[in-house]
Amino acid sequence: MLVGLGGGLGSALRWGIGRLVGEGYKGDFPLGTFLINVSGSLVIGYLSVLFNVDWDNRYGHGMVLNALVITGVLGGYTTFSSMQLDAARLAAQQRTHLAAIYLSLSVAAGLLAALAGAALASAQG
Amino acid sequence: MKLGFAVLLVFVGGALGAIAREFLMLFVPTLSHRFPLDILVANVVASLLIGVSTARHNRKAITDGWHLMVTTGVMGGLSTFSSFAYATSVLMKASMASALVAAAYVLISLVMGYVAVIAGMKIGGHDH
Repeated sequence: MLVGLGGGLGSALRWGIGRLVGEGYKGDFPLGTFLINVSGSLVIGYLSVLFNVDWDNRYGHGMVLNALVITGVLGGYTTFSSMQLDAARLAAQQRTHLAAIYLSLSVAAGLLAALAGAALASAQG
Repeated sequence: MKLGFAVLLVFVGGALGAIAREFLMLFVPTLSHRFPLDILVANVVASLLIGVSTARHNRKAITDGWHLMVTTGVMGGLSTFSSFAYATSVLMKASMASALVAAAYVLISLVMGYVAVIAGMKIGGHDH
């Protein structure tokens, strides 16, 4: 139930931010989904260390916060399927290069953001 | 469509998608070498279905409301980028061997997810 509540909140937030970015930016790069995924990755890295999540035993420590925030809100907020849909759309418009750049940049920036978030939480002790 | 109703549709869809992902996480076994199979399955299934629902919406076979609930809500809630990125970062830091697992995980996720969207759009693009 908590996962559902968090997933609903995260998804509504994703939709709202996507609309806001879409109003301010009219370029071809799928900026909204990119910013959402990178910011979500930063927060998941930070909170996973903060909540002391054992990634092999996700149902152990801090179950409530885990279910609500990490699986729910952040899982609902970030999206893998929309990213792939954006890429497929670009490729269909003969923008294959931009699609490839978008996917690689999303993964690289998301990975760095997750690492940075975890490092930040570790540094705070 | 009123804004409040649109938010409700996305909320309900996102909640359903996230619950479905939680069930996948409970029932899909994690492979040896800590390969995150559960998140891969959630992301690839959501990519396939987002292709189908987008193609159906393009053909006006489903309404804007259903599209918002299913495509933006359910598929966005079922798939996740943050767990994908974080699991990759944890694997990368653990050891040389698990860094290879991380690289394979990223590559397989991207290729299968992309192929799934294209396949979904083909399936959804046919007249039924």
